Amino acid sequence: MNGKIIILLILTIIFSKSPQSATLSAKYGYDEWLVSRFLKYVPDVDSFLSKMEIAPTQYIRANTLKTHVANLVKRLQLKGFELKTTVIPEVFAVTKAPFAAGATTEYLLGHYYIQDLSSCIAVEALDIAPGQVVLDVAAAPGGKTTFIAQRMNNSGIVIALEPNARRARSILFNLARCGVYNTSVFKTDAVRTGLFEMKFDRVLLDAPCSCEGVIAKDPTRKTSHTPEDVDYCCRIQEEMIESAVKVVKPGGILVYSTCSFAPEENEMVIDRLVQNYHNITVEPMNYGSSGLVRFGDMVFGDPLNNTRRFYPHLHDTTGFFIAKLKVN
Amino acid sequence: MIYSKPNRNERTKINRALDRWGTFEFFKDKVLVLQKDDTKKKIVVCLVNEKIEELLLMAGMISPYSLGLAIGELRKEFIPSIAGADLFARYGKRNKFYIVVSEKGEKLVLYGRDIMGESIVEASDALAENELVILLNTSHEAIAIGRTRFSGNSLLQKGRVTVTTLADAGYYLREEG
Repeated sequence: MNGKIIILLILTIIFSKSPQSATLSAKYGYDEWLVSRFLKYVPDVDSFLSKMEIAPTQYIRANTLKTHVANLVKRLQLKGFELKTTVIPEVFAVTKAPFAAGATTEYLLGHYYIQDLSSCIAVEALDIAPGQVVLDVAAAPGGKTTFIAQRMNNSGIVIALEPNARRARSILFNLARCGVYNTSVFKTDAVRTGLFEMKFDRVLLDAPCSCEGVIAKDPTRKTSHTPEDVDYCCRIQEEMIESAVKVVKPGGILVYSTCSFAPEENEMVIDRLVQNYHNITVEPMNYGSSGLVRFGDMVFGDPLNNTRRFYPHLHDTTGFFIAKLKVN
Repeated sequence: MIYSKPNRNERTKINRALDRWGTFEFFKDKVLVLQKDDTKKKIVVCLVNEKIEELLLMAGMISPYSLGLAIGELRKEFIPSIAGADLFARYGKRNKFYIVVSEKGEKLVLYGRDIMGESIVEASDALAENELVILLNTSHEAIAIGRTRFSGNSLLQKGRVTVTTLADAGYYLREEG
């Protein structure tokens, strides 16, 4: 069956309220429908909601196109910054900042990029090698694009897509700041990938989403977020991933990510894709918690175990979902 | 946007500029592409790699919004961008067209301010008035493009703006902001 037809039948699943959802929504100021859902797919919801009350840990990624990791660390330490290593060698948690990390000369000169660890792990999952041809869909503001270019050492080709003019401009700023010259930006959207008449070794689809994972950065979403947001986003995501998968070379990798916890935007999108395309396998990843294999009355295929969820209270990142898909 | 390889005249103009900034050797084997807007009045010089150059042929159906790294603009003279100045400073042979400013001067420059004489810690006495220069911090990293208002030792005179800042790396923050 066609994926588009299926998605029109899927609506955000709402669960009945409970004494626990009432207590937690009152304690942390969320709409109760959202807490009722979190209780179904987030481990230890009280700790999770408590963690969402504080500003997320800030991470920086050293830009090795412009500096050496050790040099950057030394320079920032001399300015009073304290940094902690992470699972990604170029990425550091900022544990102490005497002033804003975005206001240093090193930042302006492109020696580093302020970027969440989870976002860097999505790029890591691409297993990029120099010389490859890579497509970055919905690329603004260019954090992942510049990291991809960095891992390719400015070789090969990165095509970055962004339909919105203002957001496309933000990519240009970051490409220029980071000294990237293997990238071309196109003002177009994911569903027009076929126009390129080319196939890609790697495709990154960091899909527009309902942003449940970044409520800590924007607390207004505790009450402004609606089930319709999730409905709307998963329709777009379905279209985007359908287009993206068609331009991956045989043997290539597609990484799908969102900053949402909603299974409708994550596991359900991947489950349908894997059901529709038998040449796609969900590859294991080293970091994060396993994706859901059931949600409400739904049971997903075992491969969904290989998708990854990142929770603020467990992984000290913003909320994130990553699926690494190999197209055989 | 229209992209093309530079013609002989354009390439000569670019080469002269690269020579001026001491970066001719670095760019000798690099691919440069020109980006022209629809009026063809604004010509941006873009550094690309060989594969990206091939993309022009492959992506014929859609015109790229950007291609590679814009290193400068070709007007009557070649005006480096901040990204271009960064490459020149890192890979070029430093000559009289590079001016080093103090730490305090660096902070002011990154807010888009002009340069006072007392902020300059190193400038060639062979510099003339109205010369295009790249401003470096004390780590010799390009922080801005400027134009001299005075020549030689007069650039160091205290209490006066001696270099006008045309573009600076702080714009990334101000524009994004």
